[in-house]
Amino acid sequence: MFDRVRGAVVPLLLMAALELATRTLAPGSDAVAPPSAALRAGWAAALDGSLWQATLFTLGSAGTGLALGAALGMALGTVLGLSRRAAAVGSLTVELLRPVPSVALIPLALLVFGFGPSMEVAVVAFATLWPMLVLTQAAVRQVEPQLLELSAALQLTAWQRAWLIVLPAMLPRLFVALRLGVAVALVVAVTVEIAANPQGMGYAMMIAQQSLDPALMLAWLGWIGVVGYGLNAAALWLQQAVARRLGAAS
Amino acid sequence: MNARWRDRAGALALLAALMALWWLAAHGQWLNRAFLPTPEATLQGLVDGLYQGTLGASTAATVGRMLLGWLLASLLGVALGALIGSCEPARVWLQPMLEFVRPLPASALLPLAIALFGLSAGMVLSVVAFGAMWPVLLATLHGLAQVHPRLREVAAALQLSRSAFLFKLGLPNALPDILAGMRLSMTVSLIVSVVGEMIASQSGLGQSILLAARSFQASELYAGVLLLGAVGFASNALLAQAEARLLRWQRV
Amino acid sequence: MPETATPILEFSAMGVQLGGREVLSPVSLRLHAGEFVCVIGASGCGKTTLLRAAAGFVPPSSGQVRRQGQRVTGPSREVAFVFQDYSRALLPWRTVRGNISLALEAAAVPAAERPARIDEVLHTVGLAAHGGRFPAQLSGGMQQRVQIARCLAQRPQLLLMDEPFGALDAMTREGLQDEVARLARDQQLTVMFVTHDLEEALYLGDRVVALRAQPAPGRPSVARVLDVPLPRPRQQLGTKEHPDFLRLRRELYADLGHV
Repeated sequence: MFDRVRGAVVPLLLMAALELATRTLAPGSDAVAPPSAALRAGWAAALDGSLWQATLFTLGSAGTGLALGAALGMALGTVLGLSRRAAAVGSLTVELLRPVPSVALIPLALLVFGFGPSMEVAVVAFATLWPMLVLTQAAVRQVEPQLLELSAALQLTAWQRAWLIVLPAMLPRLFVALRLGVAVALVVAVTVEIAANPQGMGYAMMIAQQSLDPALMLAWLGWIGVVGYGLNAAALWLQQAVARRLGAAS
Repeated sequence: MNARWRDRAGALALLAALMALWWLAAHGQWLNRAFLPTPEATLQGLVDGLYQGTLGASTAATVGRMLLGWLLASLLGVALGALIGSCEPARVWLQPMLEFVRPLPASALLPLAIALFGLSAGMVLSVVAFGAMWPVLLATLHGLAQVHPRLREVAAALQLSRSAFLFKLGLPNALPDILAGMRLSMTVSLIVSVVGEMIASQSGLGQSILLAARSFQASELYAGVLLLGAVGFASNALLAQAEARLLRWQRV
Repeated sequence: MPETATPILEFSAMGVQLGGREVLSPVSLRLHAGEFVCVIGASGCGKTTLLRAAAGFVPPSSGQVRRQGQRVTGPSREVAFVFQDYSRALLPWRTVRGNISLALEAAAVPAAERPARIDEVLHTVGLAAHGGRFPAQLSGGMQQRVQIARCLAQRPQLLLMDEPFGALDAMTREGLQDEVARLARDQQLTVMFVTHDLEEALYLGDRVVALRAQPAPGRPSVARVLDVPLPRPRQQLGTKEHPDFLRLRRELYADLGHV
C-alpha cells in the first residue's frame, strides 16, 4: 500500500509542476495545456460518449487482430514445436518474414481494405502472429522431457498425451505469450490509428492536435497510457492466476 | 550431415513454394492486380526505384534516422538507467512511474511532438530517441538490480568506490539485459521512424510506401515493404552477432 | 603460540542480534599473528555470523571487534573473505586473470605491476595454466582456488574462510585443505576458518573454537576452545590416525552432539 502511494508522489509532483509551468509560461497556447484542462477535456469526452466509442473501437480491433494472429501463431507454433522437421523447414521462412515491421504493412492494408476496422485488424494480426508463433513453439519444446518419458511409460495415446501432459505443461507459458500479445496488439492498433486509420483512440488524439486542442490531445495521451497500463495489469493478473492454478513458477 | 542438408533443402523448397504460390496468385489474378503485383513486377519496381528513383535515398534516410535515434536512445537509456540504478532512493521513488510509461506506444507521442516542434526531421528523431530509450533504460535498471548479494559483498570487501562498482560490476552484470533492451530498442526505433515519416511527410521509406499506396502503385509499394523487411532483418542480425561476441563468456 | 603485543583479531564480549533474535551471545576470543583458528558448530550456531562480524559485514549488537587494536566498523582490504558459494563470488564475464585483477584494481595497484602479481598468486594456487579461461570453464575446486587467489592478491592481514570447501567433493576438499595449510604456512597468514566438519577443523587448525547451537544466559556461544598440538606439516592419513587427533575428536564430538 505504502509502495503504491510512494510511487505516485513523483508523478503528482511532476503534474503540479507542469500545471504551474503551462499556466504561467504558455497560457492559451495551441501546443500545450495544463493537466487540469486535460482532465476536464477527458471528462467531457467521457460524458459525451466519444471517449468510450473510440476506446471500444481500438480495443475491438486490437482484440480481433490478436485473436486472428494468436490463433494462427499458436497453431503454427505448435506444429513447429512438435515436429523438429517442420521447425527446420519452416525456420528460414519465419526468420525472413518476422523482421518486417508491422507498420510497413499499413499502406498495403490501406490499399487492400481501405479505411476502416479491417485494415487495422489485418495489421494487428500480422504483428501478433510472429511473437505468438515463436513463443508457442518454445512453450511446446520446453515441456519437460521427463514428462514425455512418463507418457511413454504410461503408454498414453497421442491425444491423451496432448491433453493430459503437453497442454497443461504449456499453458502457463502460453499465457505469458498472450500477455505479450495483448501489449503488442494495443500498441500496433494505436499506431495504425495515428498513421492512417481515421478511427479509434490514436486518431482522436491526432485530430485533437490538428484542431489545436492541446487539452483534449493530452487527455487522449493520458487515457491511452491508462488503458495500456490497465490492460497489461489485467493480463499479468490472468497469467499469474493461471500459473498458480497449474502449479507453475510464475 | 545428411539430415542437415535435407533440412536446408526443405527450407529452401518451402521458400520456393511460397514464391511459386505468389507467382501463381498474381498471374492468375486471384486478387486484384492492384493489390498483388507479380514477383517480376515487384523486382522491376525495386530495381527501378533503386537505380533511377529515390528508393535508395529513402532507404538511406530511414536507416540513418533509425540508427541515430537508436544510438541516442541507447546512450541516454544506459546513462539514465545507471544514474537511477546506482542511487537506491531514486530507484524506489521513480520505478513505479517508469513502469507506467513502459506500455505506452512510442508513436503516441508524435502528436505532442508535432504540437511542440512542428513537422520536421528533428521532431521525428526526438520521438524516435525518446521512445526507443525506455527498453534500454528499463533493462539497465533491471540488470543493475540483479547483481547477486555475494558480488555486492565482494565489492564491499574490496572497498570499491561507487563508480568502480558501477563500471566493474554493475554494468557488466547488466550487459545481457542491456543488449536485449538495445535489440528491442532498435525495433522501436525502426517503427517510430517509419510512422514519423508517414505522418510528418519526411523523406524515407515510410513516406515512399504511403505515397505508392495512395497512387495505387503496387509494385513500388511491395518493393518498399521488402526493403523495410531487409532493414529489419539486417539490423537484427547484426545486433545478434554483436551480442554473441560480447557475451561469449556465457556460452563456454 | 608466540604472543605478539596486539592480537590480529580480538572479539571482546561481542554479541550479535539479527531480527530481534540473538544469533551470537557474547564471544571473547583472540587471534594472534600466524595462527590458524577453526570455528566449528552445528547449523545455526552463528559461526558464519562470527566470521562476518570479523569482516565488518555485520555490526556487533554488543561488545566490540578489534583488528590490530583498531575497532572494526566496516569491511577493509586488509581482510580477505573467501565465500562458500564461489561461483557467485567470481565475475563470470572476466577470465581468471581478470578476476584476480579486480582485487588489484580496487587497491589502485599500478597497471604495470598487476601482471606480475597476478602471475605470482596464480602460481601459488597452481592455476598458472588457466589464466585465460572463464570461471564457467573451470571445475568447482578450481573456481574456489581462483577465489583464494584473488584474496591472496589483496596481501591481507587476515584471511577469513566461510566453509570454503563445503560445496566440493571429498577428494577435491582434501587437496584444497592441504593447499590452504601450505599457503598459510608459507605466507605466514592469520586464518579464521569456519566449518561444520569436525575432522577438517582439527586437521587444519592450531586451535579449534566450538560454538553452541542454542546459546542461552549462562550458556555462552563458545562451548569450548581447544589447542590442537598435532605436528605440522599435517598429513591426510598420518595426522588423522594420531592418538591426539582421535582424543580431541572424541572430546569435540560430544560438544557438537550435546549443545
